[in-house]
Amino acid sequence: MEELDGEPTVTLIPGVNSKKKQMCFDWGPGEMLVCETTFNKKENSETVPGCPFIYIIRKDIDVYSQILRKLFNESHGIFVGLQRIEEELTGKSRKAQLVRVSKNYRSVIRACMEEMHQAAVAAKDPASGRQFSSQVSILSAMELIWNLCEILFIEVAPAGPLLLHLLDWVRLHVCEVDSLLADVLGSENPSKHESFWNLPGNTQTLTELELKWQHWHEECERHLQDGTFASSPHLECLCKIMLGDEAALLEQKELLNNWYHFLVTRLLYSHPTVKPIDLHFYAQSSLDLFLGGESSPEPLDNILMAAFEFDIHQVIKECSIALSNWWFVAHLTDLLDHCKLLQSHNLYFGSNMREFLLLEYASGLFAHHSLWQLGVDYFDYCPELGRVSLELHIERIPLSTEQKALKVLRICEQRQMTEQVRSICKILAMKAVRNNRLGSALSWSIRAKDAAFATLVSDRFLRDYCERGCFSDLDLIDNLGPAMMLSDRLTFLGKYREFHRFYGEKRFFDAASLLLSLMTSQIAPRCFWVTLLTDALPLLEQKQVIFTTEQTYELMRCLEDLASGRPVQGEASAQRLQEDLENTKLEILRLALARNLARAIIKEGSLEGS
Amino acid sequence: MVSVINTVDTSHEDMIHDAQMDYYGTRLATCSSDRSVKIFDVRNGGQILIADLRGHEGPVWQVAWAHPMYGNILASCSYDRKVIIWKEENGTWEKTHEHTGHDSSVNSVCWAPHDYGLILACGSSDGAISLLTYTGEGQWEVKKINNAHTIGCNAVSWAPAVVPGSLIDQPSGQKPNYIKKFASGGCDNLIKLWKEEEDGQWKEEQKLEAHSDWVRDVAWAPSIGLPTSTIASCSQDGRVFIWTCDDVSSNTWSPKLLHKFNDVVWHVSWSITANILAVSGGDNKVTLWKESVDGQWVCISDVNKGQGSVSTSVTEGQQNEQ
Repeated sequence: MEELDGEPTVTLIPGVNSKKKQMCFDWGPGEMLVCETTFNKKENSETVPGCPFIYIIRKDIDVYSQILRKLFNESHGIFVGLQRIEEELTGKSRKAQLVRVSKNYRSVIRACMEEMHQAAVAAKDPASGRQFSSQVSILSAMELIWNLCEILFIEVAPAGPLLLHLLDWVRLHVCEVDSLLADVLGSENPSKHESFWNLPGNTQTLTELELKWQHWHEECERHLQDGTFASSPHLECLCKIMLGDEAALLEQKELLNNWYHFLVTRLLYSHPTVKPIDLHFYAQSSLDLFLGGESSPEPLDNILMAAFEFDIHQVIKECSIALSNWWFVAHLTDLLDHCKLLQSHNLYFGSNMREFLLLEYASGLFAHHSLWQLGVDYFDYCPELGRVSLELHIERIPLSTEQKALKVLRICEQRQMTEQVRSICKILAMKAVRNNRLGSALSWSIRAKDAAFATLVSDRFLRDYCERGCFSDLDLIDNLGPAMMLSDRLTFLGKYREFHRFYGEKRFFDAASLLLSLMTSQIAPRCFWVTLLTDALPLLEQKQVIFTTEQTYELMRCLEDLASGRPVQGEASAQRLQEDLENTKLEILRLALARNLARAIIKEGSLEGS
Repeated sequence: MVSVINTVDTSHEDMIHDAQMDYYGTRLATCSSDRSVKIFDVRNGGQILIADLRGHEGPVWQVAWAHPMYGNILASCSYDRKVIIWKEENGTWEKTHEHTGHDSSVNSVCWAPHDYGLILACGSSDGAISLLTYTGEGQWEVKKINNAHTIGCNAVSWAPAVVPGSLIDQPSGQKPNYIKKFASGGCDNLIKLWKEEEDGQWKEEQKLEAHSDWVRDVAWAPSIGLPTSTIASCSQDGRVFIWTCDDVSSNTWSPKLLHKFNDVVWHVSWSITANILAVSGGDNKVTLWKESVDGQWVCISDVNKGQGSVSTSVTEGQQNEQ
């Protein structure tokens, strides 16, 4: 945004008022932390102890309002819809469609207002009642401003229809006062007006209208001069009003809630064919007359005035300052951008104002535990910094449940945010390991393509197996597929399980070859060889000879390697292996191998089939 | 509009020196002159003490959370010359490593971008910076840069990870060649940029001179995908500078004065999308700054400590759902 005209807002944090204490600060992903401290470390802790409180503060608290939530949700739908139909918006229908979008936004605001009003009425304590009521006023102001912007910028009503729109505008927002004179000032004449102008399907030109109006005006004037209403001061006053007499109008000030009501009424009776570019003259004078030097314009007045002056940037700027969240300016600016009304304003953060505001709004949504999903779509439609903003924010979403994690991952994968996917999978893998959910940890590491972690988890699986004699998560290991190749240890785990399957299916020869290849191919960790050799025992004890002489020699060699404790680089120390390989086990294995060798030699020596 | 949404009573018995939110904003770590480090669960506006960690023998100056992919790990540094790394194992927090390689108070700790591995930089009043790298199975490798800053080093901050050269997908599983860099600020009034060479040694790559007194803090801004790099620095001289380098290859840094304050400026930190800079000053305020259209830095908010009622708002639905 451009320079601020005012001083920045000061937020006071309660605490011990001390001359010597400063504030320490940290950014959270959504919130901020402050606490009292003394930075000058040289000073000793004084007699006055420090304040032990940490204050967590948040910028966009509106995000947590239950009722506004509907506003955010529904406007999100309208926003996305608008972005999507952008290409289809052509020619004459374009304006009509954009107006429709604008009306949709406004109806959402009104619905929210209504609900907020109900809440105010039903409020149990006066404080929250007041809170809700003030929210209603804010929403009402927002709708007022939006409506005016719709008329002036989107509808772009020309002279003639312009006044009718303004009348509707005023009636909608202001004439909720039920009083007879108000009716006169507001509704009665417009209906006469409408029939006078014979809308819709009005085929008269502006000049024709003007002439007609002039005629009528002169007639009124004549009646006044002639004293037709002399007997009734009431009717006389009415006539003066209808002639646009400002003084007469101002006399009814209490019925005119505000200056823009005054403005429109004035225009109705004195300049019904006012042109858009002339509006601001009347607006300014109306404001001045109405306030009468007794009070100064409020922020809302300035915003409306800026709109009458067709200064869109000023409208947006003032709204940004006056409103507590970015919802309004983000959506309105986006819509106006679609109307091609914003000049490109080069900003460092966001190449134009639309993007800047959308980024601010979307960032605010990420502070909420479920509204962040809406924020994703907003970032998607910010071509410059949307993607990187999304990357930075989405990593910070707490992955409190598996569902949430999967949701986040899906969003990242859809957008090819591979770094984020990897990072999130790693985090989940780590979490799973800590909670001893090895299967989960393994599938996350595979998804993260994290070889190191996969090795770690595979090791855990193997260790578990050694301790308990069975595998957990068999399904997962059995169906690893090509993912098995991610790490040697993982491959070993997969193949080892396959060995067990072969054995279970009595495919002894396959099991035997696999077992041997596991040992000779170096993918079996050395510390596991004892287990593997022990696994070979049942195969060696089978009635039929399974291991060939060659294979048996290999196994023997492996056994002796192990027994001699020859250390292999990177593997566990020789000493530990020695301990593992107790003598009894060693003897059993040697015996079994020897016996098998003997039988194998005999078998191979004999003729086939004999 | 800023509102206090939660007040955490840490029950620290002495001055709090640092408070840090974890990655997700669900936990808070604090450290104090009472020599303890405390961890709180602050979800949904609550506060539950998770751990009260003792181990330091002097005031603890800073805490830093590691990236969650390495588990729940917290580092703390203290006047007692030690850096302790704490880890949550099976639901309890314990000391997992202690680094005693400094001769004087350790003032600042900062974890490197997770892409580099688990690496902690520590800056000390003995002028040295040490780098602890986790190598597995409880082992940490130490590299030390002696005399990084004469008199003392007050702050360290890592540069965001950027893959050099082509940013297109590396073949999966292969670690890209990151150029690791970090910035440090010291009592020699300088900011120094350090780079890891191919042989694993750290070399001073640049000196940034602009301050006229001790540099108290440096903060390297997160990357938002632009080729520009940005560093904020603050000093005893009351100045805050924003340093920018438009092109990595040219490596020329130009400072812009953010503001001259009337008192020492102690800390600077960037919001996670790097668009707001928070400045903590001796004037009892935290000010928030944003860059405006014409490149000027504008103060957008003043968070001031003082007396006054807390402006809590009706925040419906905040306490419940998950």
